[in-house]
Amino acid sequence: LLLLRLGGTLGCASVDVGSPVVLLGSAVTASCSVRSRLCRGLEGGRVRISWMLDNETVAGSQCCGTGDTEVSNLTLPQFNRMQAKLWCWVEWNGTKQRVGLAEIRAGYPPAKPSNLSCLLNLSDYGLTCRWEPGADSHLPTSVALKCSTSRAPAVTGCTPQGGRSHCTVPRRLLQLYRQMEIWVAASNALGTAESERLRIDPMDVAQLDPPALRSIQSVPPQTDCVALAWAVAPSSAHMELRCELRYRPPEDPAWALVTGIVGQAGTAQCCGLLFGTRYLFQMRCRRHSARGHWSEWSAARNHTTHEK
Amino acid sequence: APLAELSGDQDFQLFLHKNLEFTRKIKGDVAALQRVVCDTFQLCKEEELLLVQQDLRITQVALEHCHRPSFQAEACFSQIRNGLHAYHSSLAAVLELLPSHAGLVETLQLDAANLSSNIQQQMEDLGLDTVTFPAEGRGPLPAFSSRFQHQVGGFLILANFQRFLETAYRALRHLAR
Repeated sequence: LLLLRLGGTLGCASVDVGSPVVLLGSAVTASCSVRSRLCRGLEGGRVRISWMLDNETVAGSQCCGTGDTEVSNLTLPQFNRMQAKLWCWVEWNGTKQRVGLAEIRAGYPPAKPSNLSCLLNLSDYGLTCRWEPGADSHLPTSVALKCSTSRAPAVTGCTPQGGRSHCTVPRRLLQLYRQMEIWVAASNALGTAESERLRIDPMDVAQLDPPALRSIQSVPPQTDCVALAWAVAPSSAHMELRCELRYRPPEDPAWALVTGIVGQAGTAQCCGLLFGTRYLFQMRCRRHSARGHWSEWSAARNHTTHEK
Repeated sequence: APLAELSGDQDFQLFLHKNLEFTRKIKGDVAALQRVVCDTFQLCKEEELLLVQQDLRITQVALEHCHRPSFQAEACFSQIRNGLHAYHSSLAAVLELLPSHAGLVETLQLDAANLSSNIQQQMEDLGLDTVTFPAEGRGPLPAFSSRFQHQVGGFLILANFQRFLETAYRALRHLAR
């Protein structure tokens, strides 16, 4: 017959711990107070309190509480478990009864997030940021990506889902073409941590879509030159771009490079090509102000030069 | 220092080049919406709507300080901001007209607000007085008595906004090196 009875005996005993969340490896102190007058069946009898940490008996020190309350104090010098249940037991009618419980978690304050970097997607203008979370704190930790501008207080830009270390700030929380401060903030029961602050204009980390190679022709036929018609992606039509072209025969590992191609669209010319040879061509662009990343290389286009 | 004297200032030039690109982006998005209005409602040419637009009080925005001969950079910046605020409100009528393109219209409103805020920040960095518009403050929406008027109103708002942006773009480019 369990001693527990809803309402009445729940007041029979209580377990108190200094803090339910502690630094891993630190000491834990707890006390179990048994108010025998409120424990049906224990009235007036000798109360013998004992402890178990999960399934392991641990020794407490019982002494006289006040009036009809018996107290047992327990110190665990080095709490090395991530999580444990600390049970308080009382002997009753030759049986041992569970009368109180404290759940204890242990871990570390959040580590300082690092290597924060962001990329702006030009199709939806969402800013996706990634970072290294650092060592696991073993504790429930809330993480948020914060952003602010000189004119507005910090707001939560996004929160990573499912323990990931990346998330995407929606366009409506961004200030385009102006410096923003972006950082990662982590907090748990034992403390908080912030990454270094990234001071960027979201446009300066725009990930450009690759240009498109429209056509390739031998121009004029009897020469060793080809002319390529190309155009930038619509998503960067409003930008001043600098592009580069690379080409090589499929079997040749080394690419030849044509740099400094500017404009939105046009033709680029390459000469000195071998006759009767099949070449692969690719192009990529980035913003003229050299701020930000190169686009990926365009889809390759091949062209076989004419025989001599 | 008057804005014109700052033309050589590096930060000011960076501000100008960034926001020239921003204005080009906004102009591109407005042009995309104008194509939608043309395709959807067959309203493509302003000269066909001269008569009907007299019934509609579609606000025009004064930009006289952004033109010669009365070009004055500081006043021009304030007029650009006033205009951006006015169009931010007027675009609500376009939002109602083109619910299936709400994303593009809302992006336009965000961009207009951002551009205005960028100009305000730059003016304040230069120690100039500025006005702070309420974030959600909306001017009165034009009242349309028919669906056709609403379509024409949407067309005219976009056409006026495109012209406004063209003037603003030229003013910024005039100051840029």
